[in-house]
Amino acid sequence: MNNLDVISLNIWQIIISLLNLVILFLLFRKFLFEPVKKVIAKRQEEVDSRYDSASKAEADAMELKSSWETRMKSAEDEAGAIIKEAVEKADRRNEIMLYESREKAESIIRKAKSEAERDKADAQEYIKKEIVDVSTALSEQVLGREINMDDHMNLIDDFIDNLEDQ
Amino acid sequence: MTVLLLILSIIPLIAGILIKVLYVPASEGIDISGAHIFFTIDLPLGGLPITESQVNSWLVILSLFFFCLFLTHGLKTKNMSRRQIIAEWIVNTVDNLVKTNMGEFFMGFGPFIAAMLGLSACSSLLTLIGLFPPTSDINVTGGWALLTFILITYYKCKAGPLIYIKSFGDPVPFLAPLNIISEVATPISMAFRHYGNVLSGSIISILIANLLTNVSKMIFGFLPGYLGGFPYLRVGLPAILSIYFDLFSGALQAFIFAMLTMLYVSGGFPEDEYFKRKRIKEAKKKQQVIENTNGGV
Repeated sequence: MNNLDVISLNIWQIIISLLNLVILFLLFRKFLFEPVKKVIAKRQEEVDSRYDSASKAEADAMELKSSWETRMKSAEDEAGAIIKEAVEKADRRNEIMLYESREKAESIIRKAKSEAERDKADAQEYIKKEIVDVSTALSEQVLGREINMDDHMNLIDDFIDNLEDQ
Repeated sequence: MTVLLLILSIIPLIAGILIKVLYVPASEGIDISGAHIFFTIDLPLGGLPITESQVNSWLVILSLFFFCLFLTHGLKTKNMSRRQIIAEWIVNTVDNLVKTNMGEFFMGFGPFIAAMLGLSACSSLLTLIGLFPPTSDINVTGGWALLTFILITYYKCKAGPLIYIKSFGDPVPFLAPLNIISEVATPISMAFRHYGNVLSGSIISILIANLLTNVSKMIFGFLPGYLGGFPYLRVGLPAILSIYFDLFSGALQAFIFAMLTMLYVSGGFPEDEYFKRKRIKEAKKKQQVIENTNGGV
């Protein structure tokens, strides 16, 4: 008589087992579900904030990149303009220098030419005078007499002119 | 701390074995009876006998409580321990189960379903360590079924008692007695299904054990002395059978019980009516607030 029958209903036992289930429900809610859900929510929050900051950093980086790109482009343009200007300047200077040097060379040539001509004329004069002197002396000796200096001069001039013409 | 909690969750089971060894007389032969009565408290309506099923369910609750503490102690958001993964898996699985079977409105049922699954399965599995399974006591499963019945009725009444009473006259009023019977039969059938399955499992186990004892006596009886009386066939074979009758059946019945609770509670809840009434109530409240503010001005 120490055991229950296989089927024996007892209202108190039923209530106790009902309360047992309720108690276990409360325990599970308090000690298993609430802490775990809290932790999951917290982790979700952390992940969200991490994602937010990551996307923000990405946006910042993209902005920086685009600004750098525009700056690079403007720098390139500037460099191109500078080079172009420099080339133009150099070209111009080159031309000027070329022109100047040509002028100089020409003037030098001109000067040399005129000097040479003058030297030539001087030489002609001198030679002419020498020839006159020599021929006069020669003819005086040959003829034995004084000849008219002026006539002689004219004669020699004609002769030399003819020589020159030839 | 962690180890201490794990030990605390095992201690109740050891205590159960000790109580059984110390206070419950060993049964001889085929003895099919209910739980052992330790003592009886005098109360009206037949008194309250404190039996093995009561004690064992308290031990299971204690054990589960400490196991919960063991799982959830020191939860972190980073570098999760294996305990935390298990705890989160349990919570997520039960929540998903509740969500798919009951819907978003009943998400608060998660701990309740978890408690039902845990208590029922662990109670049935007590047979594995040789203790009396509380689920083979009709009073225990009856209590759970009664709670389910209360919940079903509560959620059916949620949209007003009138609608609940009217639902018995569905589809034709003269079927009302049948509807009432089916309403009452729900918890009874749930209680008896669970109780019967576990009890039949242990009865079959006892029968098979006896059969094997007798058969091995017949085969090996010629051996002299104690060698002849030893039940050789009882080694190993009952363990294989208990995988079905104790492990599988216990877990399956717990699952079925929880499943039926979810389906009955969410099925009995007149969702459309409830939300219609809620909307109307809210609209009324808003109007009242507007009227009040207007009156005040």
